[in-house]
Order: sequence, then structure tokens, then C-alpha cells
Amino acid sequence: MQANIIYEDGDHRWIMFGRDPNKSDGIIDTNQYMIQSGDQAMLLDPGGIELFAPMLSAVLKFVPTDQITHLFASHQDPDIISSLGLWDQALPNAKLYSPWLWESFIRHFGMERIQYCPIPDEGLTLGLGRIQVQFIPAHYLHSSGNFHVYDPKAKILMSGDVGAALEGTDAPLFVDNMAAHTPKMRKFHQRWMPSNEAKLDWVRRVRQLDVNVMAPQHGRLFQKQHVTEFLNWFEELPVGIAIR
Amino acid sequence: MPTPIFVTAASIAAELHQAMLEAKGLALTAKNARALAVRAGSKTVGFKAITHFIDELASDIIRQSQYINGVSEGLSQQAVSLWRANTAADKFQWIERQQLAHGESLRNAMRTCYDEREHLSQMLTRGIRELEAQLEEGDKHIRTANLIATSSKVEASSAGDFRAQLEVIAANITATANQIRQHLSTARRLLNQKHT
Ligand SMILES: [Fe+2]
Ligand SMILES: [Fe+2]
Repeated sequence: MQANIIYEDGDHRWIMFGRDPNKSDGIIDTNQYMIQSGDQAMLLDPGGIELFAPMLSAVLKFVPTDQITHLFASHQDPDIISSLGLWDQALPNAKLYSPWLWESFIRHFGMERIQYCPIPDEGLTLGLGRIQVQFIPAHYLHSSGNFHVYDPKAKILMSGDVGAALEGTDAPLFVDNMAAHTPKMRKFHQRWMPSNEAKLDWVRRVRQLDVNVMAPQHGRLFQKQHVTEFLNWFEELPVGIAIR
Repeated sequence: MPTPIFVTAASIAAELHQAMLEAKGLALTAKNARALAVRAGSKTVGFKAITHFIDELASDIIRQSQYINGVSEGLSQQAVSLWRANTAADKFQWIERQQLAHGESLRNAMRTCYDEREHLSQMLTRGIRELEAQLEEGDKHIRTANLIATSSKVEASSAGDFRAQLEVIAANITATANQIRQHLSTARRLLNQKHT
């Protein structure tokens, strides 16, 4: 499991984990993130059960377990949070922030010790160490209860499955050319995202944020100029194509 | 290939559930036999007495099957928890070998996990022993059922006009006892196979 520090300012850090060269074939490559501030850290979309051991190992290079105080699951998918039953054994005192809609579903992954903190539909601002992070509504993108995470100090938006591209583990970290990158995203967004209305609502919301880096759960990350290009591209893209 | 114990335990529960259904059928057979014996009068007094034994036996088997069922379902659940604890423990051991900067911080969670694994595996051993004893007990019921089946055949032969009907019932008892025996021996075979 590779770890990349994508933002650092004193003890405030964003680390991206992924591009695991030992990942078994047939499972989708995922990006996991950790936000650190002071003596608290939050894992964002910590991943599937297959990734638990390499993730825990990668994370413990940066923080001790008692400082991993928060988990966040943007939605209920297995590639997001099927590792929960094992994190439950490793981080008995952690809190899991996740859409209220999915509580009774996510608990199926096994959760006896970790505390479920339901995020209401309108989102939430949460203190983490010395910073504040915002859970931004992204419902129906693609899950019907879904949030992204915005850190206004680092100006990073973790955008879950939005901006996802299906690529190999040797892909570069950042998008370098949108024209070359959009073909890798088109099918995924058209098929997985069900609602044009939800898409437009999200684009409007994100345009009001100051985003230096957009960090999706699959594929490359976007720097400022590419975020703007992405929003324009996504705005125009018809989604929910399977019923046509 | 070794079978996971939670699969075995669930399969045993299923066998015992079948045995219980058979026993319920046996209770029904006893009821019919008694009705018939009452109508047949003095010639079937012996058969009528036997139906009480069948009734008792059937409810014993039902009670016991339900008990074993409960034990094996509990066992299956514990085995799943143990499997989870084992999975976590394996991953923790892998982490432990790596000498990570903050590896030490995992120590408490690791100890809890190892303790839980120990506790669960003891419970599982105890549960398996309990199952063995219960299945043995079940064999006693089968021996009783065979005795009853033989006696009902004898009684049927002296029941005059009702002979044919009572013979059917006697055959029914034998068949049911065989079915139950089969479920019990499958359960025991499952328990004796190699486990992970
Ligand atoms: Fe998803
Ligand atoms: Fe995903």
C-alpha cells in the first residue's frame, strides 16, 4: 500500500493511501484518505475487507491507534467500508460518521464497539483536532445517501465516487490532461450516477467552495484548474443512462 | 478439505430440525393409532397402551431435537465470531511482525482480540462436547423407538379386523424411527469430520 502526503501544514495533514501493487486482481483499486490534525485523525472511506491489513499497516506508520478517533464512510458500498468488522477490533473507541440512511445496513459489516454517528441529510461540520471538516451532501452520487468531505483550511474536497476513473495501480497521482482523462471517467459516471438533477445540485454546491484538490475514491486526483474543467464536463454529461 | 465449524454446526441444526419434524409426524401417528385402538375396543388394548409410549417418545424427541438445535445454532454463531476474531488476530500478527512506528499502540486491541479468541474457542470445545453427549442421548431414543415398533407389530398381529390398519401404523413407526436415526447419524458424522 502506497502512502502519499497530499497536504501538510504543521500537524495538519492529508494522506492518500492506495495504488496497492499487492492488491488481488478483480477488486477495484481504491483511494483511502486520512486527515490528521493535532492528536486526532479521521480515515475516509477506509476500504474493503481485503485492504484492512495493508491499510492498518500503512496508517500505523503515521499515527498510533488511539489517535485514529474518527472513521468516515461516504456511503454503504463494500469497497468503502466492508472492512468495518475488523476496524471494530482495532479501534474500539472510534466513531463512524456515515449517512443516517445507511446505519442499519452498514451495521451488517459487523460493529460492536465503534459508535455510529449518523450524518443528517443536510450535512454536518465536525471538529477534528484543531480544524473543522464539513460533510457536504452528495446524495444520489451515486448512493441515495452520500456525503463528501471538505476541509476549508487545506481546500481539499474528498469527492467519493464523483471524479472516479478506473485505472491501473501504476497511474500517476494527478490528472495531467483532462481531454485524455475524461474517456476514463465517462462510462463510470454515466452508469453509476442515476440523477441529472442531483448532479446539477452538486455542481452548484461545489462551485461555491474553494477547492485546490479534488480527491476521488478511485483514480487520479484533480488540481485546481482541472477541478473547474471537471465541473464543466460533469455538468454537461448525461447520467443515468441504463434506462434509455 | 476441512469444513469450517460454523458450517457443520448449521448443518447439524438442519438435521435435527428434520428429526424434529419426523418426531412430530410420529406424534400424529400415535394419535391416529389411539383413535383406531379406541374404536377397535378390547382386542387392541395392548396397542392402545403402546400409543402412550409413542406419544411420550415423540415429545421427548421433539424436546431434545429442539434443544440440540439451539445448541448447534449457538455454536454456529460462536464459530462465526471465532472466525472473525481469528481473522483479526492473523492480521494483527502480520502487523506485529513489521515493527511499525506506532505498532505498539495496537497492543490493547490485540490483547482483547486474543483473549476473545481464547474464550470463544473454549466455549466452542465445550459446545461440541455437549453436542456429542446429546446425540448419544438421541440414540437411546432410537433404541426405544425400535422396541416400540417391534411391540406394535406383535400387537397388530392379534388385532383381528384391525390388523391391516395397525400393521400400517406399526410400519410407519419403524420407518419414522429409521428416518430419525439417519438424521442423528448424519449429525454425528458431520460432527466427527475434520474441522477448521
Ligand atoms: Fe460506491
Ligand atoms: Fe467506489
